[in-house]
Amino acid sequence: MDQAQKTSGKRTELQMARSMCWHCQSEVTGEYFCEQCIKVQPLSKELDYFTCLGLPRLLNIDINTLEAKFYALSRAFHPDFYQNKTESEQTISLENSALLNTAYRTLKDPIQRAEYLLKLEAGSAKDIRTSPPADLFEEILALQEDLEEYRSAQAGQNQVGLEQLRARLTVDRETLEQRQREMETRLFELFTTWDSLQSRQSQTEQAGRHLRQGKDAVLKEMRELLSNRTYLRNIVNDLIATTA
Amino acid sequence: MAYSEKVVDHFNNPRNMGSFKKDDEDVGTGIVGAPECGDVMKLQIKVQDEKIVDAKFKTFGCGSAIASSSLATEWLKGKTIEEAHKIKNTDIVQELNLPPVKIHCSVLAEDAIKAALNDYKKKTDTKESK
Repeated sequence: MDQAQKTSGKRTELQMARSMCWHCQSEVTGEYFCEQCIKVQPLSKELDYFTCLGLPRLLNIDINTLEAKFYALSRAFHPDFYQNKTESEQTISLENSALLNTAYRTLKDPIQRAEYLLKLEAGSAKDIRTSPPADLFEEILALQEDLEEYRSAQAGQNQVGLEQLRARLTVDRETLEQRQREMETRLFELFTTWDSLQSRQSQTEQAGRHLRQGKDAVLKEMRELLSNRTYLRNIVNDLIATTA
Repeated sequence: MAYSEKVVDHFNNPRNMGSFKKDDEDVGTGIVGAPECGDVMKLQIKVQDEKIVDAKFKTFGCGSAIASSSLATEWLKGKTIEEAHKIKNTDIVQELNLPPVKIHCSVLAEDAIKAALNDYKKKTDTKESK
């Protein structure tokens, strides 16, 4: 909670691993470099990816802003610029760049961004207990049986039967793909809901609890959508691979 | 990362693949899924006098998930309901030498066993209350 407020609030600059310069021992006041000796400073390993890229913990992010920040930081930390520096500086440059790259890759993709947010907000995304989608499982098993039937029909001689099966599976696939699109639409709606909840300030304790409940509900629905999306993706891929 | 020999063996020669009629009174069915990878596993037991006389599975997922469920059906056969409850995912991990990234496959198999046992219990409970 405190963490979330911090990152959604003003605090967007990078946190350094230490408040003291590793080289000249003076207090670090510059952003990524010591103002006294101009040495590069290591990023804190606990830094979350949003903070790392100077972004609030929101789900709708402006890709241009993300990219600009990433390029600027890449230039600051890139190992190429540290070839003639000391070993310590080269190590810091490498580690900072690695963290930066992972942060950028994760946040660039909306699905990975949502998965990452779930992990941050729920400790571990898996800890959010959702009931398994029994209907979806039944549906997937039925489709897998149809696929098996199709595979054995492929081995046989019945061309007419095979074509009929293929036509049916194609319709099934199109229906599933439509559902995937609907799921994504809903997921992006939740992005916006999350962002508006994140920007809301709660004055009283009761309002704070209420806000937390609202956030948890959004996280839970996102968790469900992302899981169901994975199940659907697998069966759609199997359908495409088999009937292609 | 290479699969262990035992995983490959179960994958190439899956034991007890198939299914029973879901609505049969002596059959318990468990269907579970792993949200991380999208694998879906169905495991069924056939029970007579509190003893599991047969077990079958169908798993749509990776080699480790198939091997875990195949091994689970082998272990289930001949066990009592009570003994079946004691099968742990760590036993499967050990037997199949599953690497850390595949531990969730064994968890899935344990969940499937539990789900099948619960389903059977529910069936017998409603039968007795009739």
